[in-house]
Amino acid sequence: MPEELVRMDRINKFFGRVQALNDVTLSVNRNEIVGLLGDNGAGKSTLIKILSGALRAESGEIYVRGNQVKIRNTTDAMALGIETIYQDSALISQLSIARNLFLGREPLRAPRFLDRLDHDTMNEVARKLLKQVGIKKEIPPTTPISALSGGERQAVAIARAMHFESELIILDEPTNNLGVEETQGVLRFVRGARDSGHSCILIAHNIYHVFQVVDRIIVLRRGKTVADDIDPKQTTIEAVESIITGMPIS
Amino acid sequence: MAIKSFVQRVVSQPEFGPFVLLVVEIAAFSLRSPAFLSAGNISNLLAFTPELGMITLGMTLLMTAGEFDLSVGSVFGFAPIVMWTLYNTHVASLEVGFVIALLFAVIVGLANGWFVTYLKIPSFLVTLGMLLVVRGTALYVTDGFPQRTWTADSPLMNIVVGEFAIGGLYIYASLLWFILFAIILGYVLTESKAGNWIQAAGGNPEAARARGVRVTYTKVALFILTAVLSAYAGITSSIRVSAANPNSGTGYELEVIAMVVIGGTALSGGRGTIIGTVVGILILRTMRNGIVLIGVPGLAYNIFVGGIILAMMALHSWLERRHHAGT
Repeated sequence: MPEELVRMDRINKFFGRVQALNDVTLSVNRNEIVGLLGDNGAGKSTLIKILSGALRAESGEIYVRGNQVKIRNTTDAMALGIETIYQDSALISQLSIARNLFLGREPLRAPRFLDRLDHDTMNEVARKLLKQVGIKKEIPPTTPISALSGGERQAVAIARAMHFESELIILDEPTNNLGVEETQGVLRFVRGARDSGHSCILIAHNIYHVFQVVDRIIVLRRGKTVADDIDPKQTTIEAVESIITGMPIS
Repeated sequence: MAIKSFVQRVVSQPEFGPFVLLVVEIAAFSLRSPAFLSAGNISNLLAFTPELGMITLGMTLLMTAGEFDLSVGSVFGFAPIVMWTLYNTHVASLEVGFVIALLFAVIVGLANGWFVTYLKIPSFLVTLGMLLVVRGTALYVTDGFPQRTWTADSPLMNIVVGEFAIGGLYIYASLLWFILFAIILGYVLTESKAGNWIQAAGGNPEAARARGVRVTYTKVALFILTAVLSAYAGITSSIRVSAANPNSGTGYELEVIAMVVIGGTALSGGRGTIIGTVVGILILRTMRNGIVLIGVPGLAYNIFVGGIILAMMALHSWLERRHHAGT
């Protein structure tokens, strides 16, 4: 019996009179990669924003490791081990790789006059992490993010989630605007994250990418869960597409 | 090879361009006018520079965090008015007046920060309003007249701006304070957690907030710091020149912002340098001093300042583009 890590139970969310989520339930087990699919406006991003603390639901409960929790903001979510990686928005392009990795959780060193940063530790950990997430190029950790490619930036964001022992890493469209090579890199990191004991929720428009890495697929349509136990090994892309659109296979 | 990469590293620093300009400037002035490097002229140059410089240090951190403050010149004029008025009317001792004047600056900074962060009004508009409010208050309180300052005798005055001689140089204590503030704030910006937060708040506030950085707190604190440094600089100036004029500090805000951007701090936030700012301060102060000495009419000063700003901005944008093209 797999152990349940996160469970969102009967979540409802309205934007004015529009019901964005209608009794949506989602669960993620330990060491599991879940693909969250759905058409534009199906409610994927809304659901994820509630879990990462960016939005609040009107009703419904969230459980982490079996305990009911309140997630009021992103700091709460991070404290619970839930890390969300958005395309590009999570990094500060003027800051160096090492400064970005540790932003908000900076290591300090003695003498701690005015909270002195531990640059040595920051750079050393950054160097090691970059290697871990598969950046083979020799990039100094003091390089500003603005000098990195899209894939490298994504790798830095994933490295950050992995280093801070996030148990659940949420990737919202991580392969948008990435080249073929870089996309493969990101998908490789996702598999690697599972191997090192993390769970993931992967949101992507591209079903082919999702099929390559996930253990289970959940489909939302117009704010409702229409499928939550699709095994990508037992089904076809066409079948999933028909569930997403609600139209039979032609 | 090692030497070459070292040279490349030095050249690619944002402070390098301004530094070269400063060296060229000093060389040119000292060649044209022997009086430029005389002890008397250097003492003269170093008398007012720390006062404007203190404001500029605060502005550097504030601009790195993505905001700026146009009310600094007004606070510079208003704070000494508060201190000297309280003293002259026997309401408070000079020391207590000094503390109250700084508290006024805290309130001004707090108000600026509150309008900018909670009401989300651009700092340009907020601090433009504050400029008028503070300057107007200074004029109203004093009826437009300067306040007496020569009746006082307090050790505080010597601590803030006491004069002493080294060789032929006359130095004010304000120069030492300025150096101390520059070292502390330079350290804060590059070596401390607060510095990381300041740069993050200016670079991408939303992303910073998502990482748990207290962006609002950081920005409000910097508005307060800038206002307090401006007030302190104004008090320093009033003691040194023995006059608290409600109009003093008019126009300083633009000169200060010019110094910051000439030094290499990004106007759009996210990247700042205290070393660059110190160089920027020296460039403009040396320019004002030097062109008069070599016989250019003082009224032409602004032509040079404007020209330097345009040239420096062109240089920074060129370096920026080359930096991105190369990687």
